[in-house]
Amino acid sequence: MLSLSHIRKVYRTQLVETYALDDITLEVDAGEFVAVMGRSGSGKTTFLNVAGLLDTFEVGTYRLDGEDVSRLSDAAMSRIRNQKIGFIFQSFNLIPDLDVFDNVDVPLRYRRLPAKERKARVENAVEMVGLSSRLKHLPSQLSGGQQQRVAIARVLAGDPKLILADEPTGNLDTLMSREVMDLLERIHGQGTTIIMVTHSPECAARAPRHIHLLDGRVIDTDADLFAEHTLPGLAAAIQ
Amino acid sequence: MLLHNIWIAWKSLRRSPVLSGLIIACIAIGIAFATTFAAVRHAFTRHPLPDKEASLRYVRLDNWDPREPYPGGAADALPPQITYRDAMALRRSTVPVRQTASFRARLTVFPEPSVGRPTKEDVRLAHADFFQMFDVPFRYGSGWTRESDEKLDQVVVISEALNERVFGGRNSVGQTLRIETRDFRVVGVLAGWLPSVRVYDMTGNALSEPEPVYLPFGLVVPMELRTVGNSDGWGGRGGSPTASFAARLASGESTWVQYWVELPSPADEQAYRSLIESYIAEQRRLGRFGRPTNYRVSSIGTLMDDFQVAPKETFALLMVGLLFLVVAAVNLIGLLLGKFLARANEVGVRRALGASRRDVFLQHLVECQVVAVLGGAIGLGLAALSLRSLNAFMLDTTSRGDLFRLDLQMLLLALALSVAAGLISGIYPAWRICRLAPASHLKV
Repeated sequence: MLSLSHIRKVYRTQLVETYALDDITLEVDAGEFVAVMGRSGSGKTTFLNVAGLLDTFEVGTYRLDGEDVSRLSDAAMSRIRNQKIGFIFQSFNLIPDLDVFDNVDVPLRYRRLPAKERKARVENAVEMVGLSSRLKHLPSQLSGGQQQRVAIARVLAGDPKLILADEPTGNLDTLMSREVMDLLERIHGQGTTIIMVTHSPECAARAPRHIHLLDGRVIDTDADLFAEHTLPGLAAAIQ
Repeated sequence: MLLHNIWIAWKSLRRSPVLSGLIIACIAIGIAFATTFAAVRHAFTRHPLPDKEASLRYVRLDNWDPREPYPGGAADALPPQITYRDAMALRRSTVPVRQTASFRARLTVFPEPSVGRPTKEDVRLAHADFFQMFDVPFRYGSGWTRESDEKLDQVVVISEALNERVFGGRNSVGQTLRIETRDFRVVGVLAGWLPSVRVYDMTGNALSEPEPVYLPFGLVVPMELRTVGNSDGWGGRGGSPTASFAARLASGESTWVQYWVELPSPADEQAYRSLIESYIAEQRRLGRFGRPTNYRVSSIGTLMDDFQVAPKETFALLMVGLLFLVVAAVNLIGLLLGKFLARANEVGVRRALGASRRDVFLQHLVECQVVAVLGGAIGLGLAALSLRSLNAFMLDTTSRGDLFRLDLQMLLLALALSVAAGLISGIYPAWRICRLAPASHLKV
């Protein structure tokens, strides 16, 4: 599904070069549920931005769903984001003056789908996250958990092959975190590939595969988070 | 997508009403200035008879003093009117399908004593073709016939206002109206005729309203009528002081007659020009037209330019208005940029959800256009108020209460200016916002 080969992403200022991603090589198969972990500044978000075609990189090759997406035009990248990728953010990122229906409808409009089909997809997605009674509510009228469920519905409506979730439970209490993770598990169960950045061991434990980043490098792609044989210093790094 | 973008723009305006109001007010004031001044200029340049542009022609001949050119600076300057005798000579031509000489006199009109007191009225002397040539509308009756021209019938056409005053507004065709010492038979009553420009006589105030009384041109001799309009001449009034009025008219070089011909085709116009050249050559042999051959057969549009019906100041005002709009639009660039950058996160979200740079650019450009069109609509309202005040002012000097108005052309102009202002102020901010890197403006 996703294949990164020797990816390098550098942030440059006049004084210093920072390797946000440093020679990352990684394969994620279709249908996998992967948790990406690492301490702040380890490059998790940059990894997610590159994987989601929200950011470019200097060196390396990136293939998504069999297609080389390393050097695409803005329009082509936008089309892939719209049709193949769904984003879930820690801060929900709903548009504040659009109600639930219209927020979920946003990516479908960029896909230029007919109104009838968009309506059916939105209503179906909102029903899946259990918010059918809140279609006309603004984000400010919803709880944090409900807002994140709207964000998930927005992803579901687009029926993407890949979901990139950046700390999806970071702003939620335990109960709501559990609800959101249950939803993600259900989506994964239907065959969707999910890559989730998280600090939470509980959330990470729901994913069968873990990737650990440190200083822009992948230091372990399949380790048991709490196993004693993890690389030296990793346990400290992820705490 | 356009409707959706308009809807997004509307929501955006409501999100920051004060800033949006400020931006709309800027555009509104710019549009109000530009449209007001454009409407003023338009009033002076509006073609009064567009259908006649191809066929109606005004004749000018350079009969001026051989020793010096007609005053005016240009080497080919020539008098704006022609002499009576040249008018009478040209009238013999059968090339034009219609033709009329004309001038303005002032005569005393005597209503029935029981109706009102005698009044001095402006009177237009013209030939029978005058009414058809200038599409004059009639409430009752019609103009007189060519036969009446020949027979010097004492017939008169009066304005609706004069008919109201003298005959109480009823159909007065066939009634008698006393003018000076003669009785005239009313043959026609005009139907509120008020062309945007007094096209048949632009030698004076072209914005004056048409005269209330019209008499056959031929009566100029028996009634010994003189013009009260502009006249130019050289070499004295013509003939000896003891000569008859008719003899003096036939020999003077005083120019005071406007002469119009209707030439349906370019071939007719060419034939008429040849005729004029032959006439000038013939007159030269008789000792007249001592200057190099110089004449004009001008369309209404050309004549409006030549006589500068639109004062130069109106052009300057229009430029000031447009400049004001441009300055307002340029000033809005900063405001719009700030407004757009304030919601960079939303743009990041939209980009993550699949919006291309083009989508984002168009969304924000549409928002600029919505602002501009709203501003334009308010600006049009302000312009309408300004023009109302100007009309009230002009009513005192031209008797016209609706000289300046927002017709379809002005509405389209205001719309075009609004769109242009939206583009000027919106393109750069929309371009900047669409170039933002989505990753760096997403809240994670």
